[in-house]
Amino acid sequence: MPRHEVYPWAGQRPDPRAGHDEKRALNRAANATLPRRANSREAWYEVAVPESPAHSPHASSKGAPSPHARQWYTRGLYAGFTSVQGFVLFASYIGFGGLCAGIGFPLGAAVFSSFLVLALPSQLLLVGGFAAGSGALVIALAVFLSAARLLPTVVTLLPYLRGRGRLPVQLFAAHFVAVSIWVESRRHLPPLAPAARLPFYFGLVTVFNLGCVAATLIGYLLAGELPRALAIGLTFLTPISFLLALTRNARDRVDYLSLVFGLALAPLFATYGGRLDLLWTGLAGGAAAWLFHRARNRARAA
Amino acid sequence: MNALVESGLWPYLLVIVAAYLPTDVWRWLAVIFARRLDEDSELMIFVRAVATALVAGVIARLVLFPTGDLVTIPLAIRIGAVAGGFVVYFLARRSMLIGVLAGEAIMVAGAYFTAG
Repeated sequence: MPRHEVYPWAGQRPDPRAGHDEKRALNRAANATLPRRANSREAWYEVAVPESPAHSPHASSKGAPSPHARQWYTRGLYAGFTSVQGFVLFASYIGFGGLCAGIGFPLGAAVFSSFLVLALPSQLLLVGGFAAGSGALVIALAVFLSAARLLPTVVTLLPYLRGRGRLPVQLFAAHFVAVSIWVESRRHLPPLAPAARLPFYFGLVTVFNLGCVAATLIGYLLAGELPRALAIGLTFLTPISFLLALTRNARDRVDYLSLVFGLALAPLFATYGGRLDLLWTGLAGGAAAWLFHRARNRARAA
Repeated sequence: MNALVESGLWPYLLVIVAAYLPTDVWRWLAVIFARRLDEDSELMIFVRAVATALVAGVIARLVLFPTGDLVTIPLAIRIGAVAGGFVVYFLARRSMLIGVLAGEAIMVAGAYFTAG
């Protein structure tokens, strides 16, 4: 399994080359006539949820929603339930639930955030800021800065989610895009007929979204039941796994530098940075890493 | 405002205002500006660097200035668990699972033996 498929949410972005080729191809193909990508492995979910050959959804790609939209939705559900990516994601959300219990973030709000936000780094910044006593505006700005990473994931997935081009549907579909969904969708959607993609995708995100909600609930409740040492271990799961995921997902110098600067500056700003310490850490750490990277590139070019 | 902050609704409002909206706004922008975006531009590299530093900063804060149960664990054990997980991760040829388990083992053992 490629590295980025396991803990995809941290420091992660789409493979730029794949994204570019595909985007170019897709823009040319104007989304309704996307070619079926050759797939050597037989799509196993077609075996799991067989389609009736009389109304093959491959046959019609335009017009009214396929009568088999429901069938493709079911296949999406099935793909979600059997996704390794999904299980890793749910495990992370169990950790998130435990973290929320550990720092005293209310259960209802923790579950609500998993339902609504669907981006673990954003949720981590939320509860981390809550624990640090940061104001709403500071947390919102931190989340805003960090969630910019979602932009390219949505852009590269969008050609498969255009449906019949209605904006509200696109916006609704885009709401569910997070990096793990991105990985799974890029695997499943291209071989499907255009009309099948959106229902399949909604099936997939239903499982991922509700699975994360359930996992948050389980992690939170588990933290109250476990012996003290294990409950503390559960609280610790998110920080340690995020740290290692950031390390593993780091691909170039900028990634490593911003990781190191972020870790190093956090205690400094937490002590002297006042109420905006989280923002200073992100902006100063990120800017320093970026400047360093640019200086090195310039030096090499010169 | 203070009454609101003290009420039980505050965390829910925080979820919407401070997490949901600032996250989803990027998803909406992506739908609207989908065709005019270069993923490898200097701006996106900068954005990624800031995002990584932010998340790293939160991790450091959770470990160094924890709230809740983690406070009862001595600082040395907290740092030791992170460092141990980190070292084992590299020793185990970059296995996340083994690294996380090692860090967790140190933390749980530390919590067990510093029973509060």
